[in-house]
Amino acid sequence: MKPWWNWRKQDRELQKEVEHHLQMAEAERLERGASPEEARTGARREFGNVGLTKELARDVWGWRWLEDLFEDVRYGLRVLRQNPAFTAAAVLAIALGVGINVGIFSVLNGAALRLLPVPRAEQLLSVDQVFHGRINRNVHNEQSFFSYAEYLDYRDHNQVFTGLAAYEPFLEATLGGLKMRGLLGALTSCNYFDVLNEHAAQGRTFVDADCAAAGQGAVLVISDELWRSAFGSDPALVGRQIVLNQTACTVIGVMPAGFTGTEPVASAFWAPVTMQKNLDAGHDRLGDSNQSWLAMLGRVRPGLTLEQVRADLSVIATRIDESHPGRQTTLAIARAAFFGRPKERGFLIPAAAVVLAAFGLVLLIACANVSNLLLARASVRHREIALRQSIGATRWRLVRQLLTESVLLAAAGGTLGSLLAFWSFAGIVRLMMSQLPESFPTLAVNVAPDFRVLGFAMGLTLMTGVVFGLVPALRTSSLDLNAALKGDGAQAGSGKKSGRFLRNAFVGAQVAVCMILLLAAGLLLRGLYYAQTVNPGFEMKGLATTFFNLRSLNYDESRAAEFVGQLRERAAALPGVTGVAQAECGPLSSDRSGDRFFVGASSEPVAIEYNHVSPEYFSVVGIPIVRGRGFGANDWKERSAIIVTESTARKLWPGQEPLGKTLYSRLTGGRRGPEYAVVGVARDAQVSHLGESDTMYLYFPGGSPADSLRSYVLVRFAGNFTDLGNGLRGIARSLDADVPVEVTKIEDNLEVWRAPSRIAAGLAGALGGLALLLASIGVYGMVSYSVSRSVREIGIRMALGADGSEVMSHVLRQAMWPVVIGALIGVAGSAAVSWVLSSMLFGLNARDPIAFVAVPMFLLLVALAASYLPARRAMRVDPVVALRYE
Amino acid sequence: MGERYRNRMELLQGTLDLLVLQTLLWGPQHGYGIAQAIRANSGDLLQVDAGSLYPALHRLEKQKWIGAEWKVSENKQDVKVYKLTAAGRKRLTEERSRWAQLTDAIAGVLNPAAKKES
Repeated sequence: MKPWWNWRKQDRELQKEVEHHLQMAEAERLERGASPEEARTGARREFGNVGLTKELARDVWGWRWLEDLFEDVRYGLRVLRQNPAFTAAAVLAIALGVGINVGIFSVLNGAALRLLPVPRAEQLLSVDQVFHGRINRNVHNEQSFFSYAEYLDYRDHNQVFTGLAAYEPFLEATLGGLKMRGLLGALTSCNYFDVLNEHAAQGRTFVDADCAAAGQGAVLVISDELWRSAFGSDPALVGRQIVLNQTACTVIGVMPAGFTGTEPVASAFWAPVTMQKNLDAGHDRLGDSNQSWLAMLGRVRPGLTLEQVRADLSVIATRIDESHPGRQTTLAIARAAFFGRPKERGFLIPAAAVVLAAFGLVLLIACANVSNLLLARASVRHREIALRQSIGATRWRLVRQLLTESVLLAAAGGTLGSLLAFWSFAGIVRLMMSQLPESFPTLAVNVAPDFRVLGFAMGLTLMTGVVFGLVPALRTSSLDLNAALKGDGAQAGSGKKSGRFLRNAFVGAQVAVCMILLLAAGLLLRGLYYAQTVNPGFEMKGLATTFFNLRSLNYDESRAAEFVGQLRERAAALPGVTGVAQAECGPLSSDRSGDRFFVGASSEPVAIEYNHVSPEYFSVVGIPIVRGRGFGANDWKERSAIIVTESTARKLWPGQEPLGKTLYSRLTGGRRGPEYAVVGVARDAQVSHLGESDTMYLYFPGGSPADSLRSYVLVRFAGNFTDLGNGLRGIARSLDADVPVEVTKIEDNLEVWRAPSRIAAGLAGALGGLALLLASIGVYGMVSYSVSRSVREIGIRMALGADGSEVMSHVLRQAMWPVVIGALIGVAGSAAVSWVLSSMLFGLNARDPIAFVAVPMFLLLVALAASYLPARRAMRVDPVVALRYE
Repeated sequence: MGERYRNRMELLQGTLDLLVLQTLLWGPQHGYGIAQAIRANSGDLLQVDAGSLYPALHRLEKQKWIGAEWKVSENKQDVKVYKLTAAGRKRLTEERSRWAQLTDAIAGVLNPAAKKES
């Protein structure tokens, strides 16, 4: 078969062949003595219909569809050019809808679909394990991680990888010396860089000897960013020693600028995994074979499928399970990408679905808008369509023609929108990131378009063209030939019930969708306001906090107790300080502890959050003890007294006296541990989750030397915060100059809580705004169209004595009922799905009556205004002019 | 001219392929030549419509029963010349035997008395 792309050439050949035939026939006739004129017409007549013959011959090769397509495209372009206003409006609406969707997709693509930014990343696989059955496992970061012993087992016994690397992704560290700063780095196996195929820009990366034994390999590879910011791009840094977590390490290499590790959060340094105990003193993860702490990445041998890899590794997993009776391990193997772990995906996929749905809704409004424009225009085109139909175009042919036009529109809009998205979204993401509090690490998300984004953009554009074009095309092509050809175009347009119904349905749909988005924005804004005004149950103002991780600085218990004790004593003497307390978890900080406890004789353990606090905690933070007593100075030695919150007491012992009730901690294997007795009840306070005061929560007496290894010091102060900060820093420096001190106000912790909801509110607000704009244009367009179509009807009403305001209210009534129905549907829809936002509402009811009344009112007012403007024109119709119209 | 049309016969469905292939058996020929040859060899009785001929030629070309090449005629015109391929020859034999069966069968129906015993 001849290739289709040759069809133009073949077309020319066919033309020549036919011409030759005609010439031969003509020549023969001339020979027989016919006049030139006779010869030519005779040859033609004998040949028959030249066009039809050519078409039939072409049909043989199956190019007909292509030719039709060309024809349709040419015709469609002409039609679109002839109506610049319509075309511009439609293209803009589509560009907006497609653009924001392509933009958000490129963000999601950068966050979770892109392969890791390393050479030949398609060969890199991430390996995670999922446990089933009896699980008894120590977990650091993710349960799906591996222990060092397991990693060595997989590394040495697999047949599928050319190299398998492991790393602990997030190691907090303090850079010592004068440049004290907190850093986030990674502990890696010594083949890490080899497996990734990454090389140092200066110096070298790790060699096997660096990982030879535990405690060996005090060497570091640092990131380009750290080299520039902390060492001023010192060209002689490689080979020198720097102090990290009180451990002297030699810098052996600096990575190139583009390399930030294999996590979305950028790493500042990499150290051999064997340095774990030295860099994170007090924990021995390296030697614990039942400890999840290492992520695994392998470079697969060419040509192997994921199934083959899984089969091979599962043999090892099954063998390891043998020493853990009752446990079964399955492996999750995937192309390595950011946020690829089972747990992360479990969170990301629903979140992405909600975001994509919200953005998709705006596109839907844009589609409904353009559909309406097309429907309105259909009535103008009735005569043209009727003509095409009467000369033999089939319905299917007409639909194809009309769909070609809408796909052309979509292509123009989609291209424009995608280009805008590619150009602007990197900036938008930076803006959103800058909204995050400073304590949030920067994310290495690459939003540049790749083939996936381009594919998404093209697919979405094509789909958009069909979605908004199909209904108008079907409707336009099914017209009543008689009525249309009689030239009664006007009435064919507005008079037909189904046409008006469709247009109303489209307006209603726009309003409904717009309502959902605006309500989401309204709820989030209300939530933010609520979070600012709500009483958290403790005194937030005038409370400062500072966090010490002395364990990471290689302190032992007694030194830590000494340091914190001294600091507390001297802080209490600072001017303006009225109280100092110590706690395991600071109020509204990111630290949280929790476990399962047996309540009384019950055998069913209950999950309860807890905090170890010093006796002063309740008075310093401002949480009153409502029953019983607070902690005494020696309670931590007895280790038996606990204080529960009111709602915890209500839930565990409803209607009973909580004082004296007992809890037992749960030991490994589900055995009962030490007994605790309730000595006091504290008022509920949102110390752990903002907006949630009814979490199950209890306090243990804190202040033991072990507690001081990692603790918050809370200071209640009256006066200047800067002075307090300087004072605390001065004390800490005089005790140990190497301890980093960061003093924050508790109110600042609120920012961390509000940031996600502020970003979500901003996003929903922007989307809602766009939706509102599109929907009001839709309403405006529909009303002005129907007014212009029913000028005659209005003229008759006026002539029969109706006055302007009656006409006006008639028009408005007609315009508003689809709006009101759409609004009702939107409100009902929102009420059904608004619970997905509840985690960001700080305890505000997801069906908050204020939002659910104010937002619909606002939307209806806007719709009313949008229909009032064109309706005013109806009022001014001059009956005499109107009746002569057309 | 009107004379000739009176004697014209409609081609039986499906016979055009046979006629075209048979005509090309005598040598390569262009479209007009094929039409003329069929007319001449049928004593002006069979008229091949251009509207049927060209689609048929292209269909046969697509099925690779005939091949086509472009030649330059004596008056410097590009002419598309068709010729029989090996597959076309085989096809012609099949078509001919089918045609023979068909004519035998029709003859048998029309002349029951002369039916051969076999």
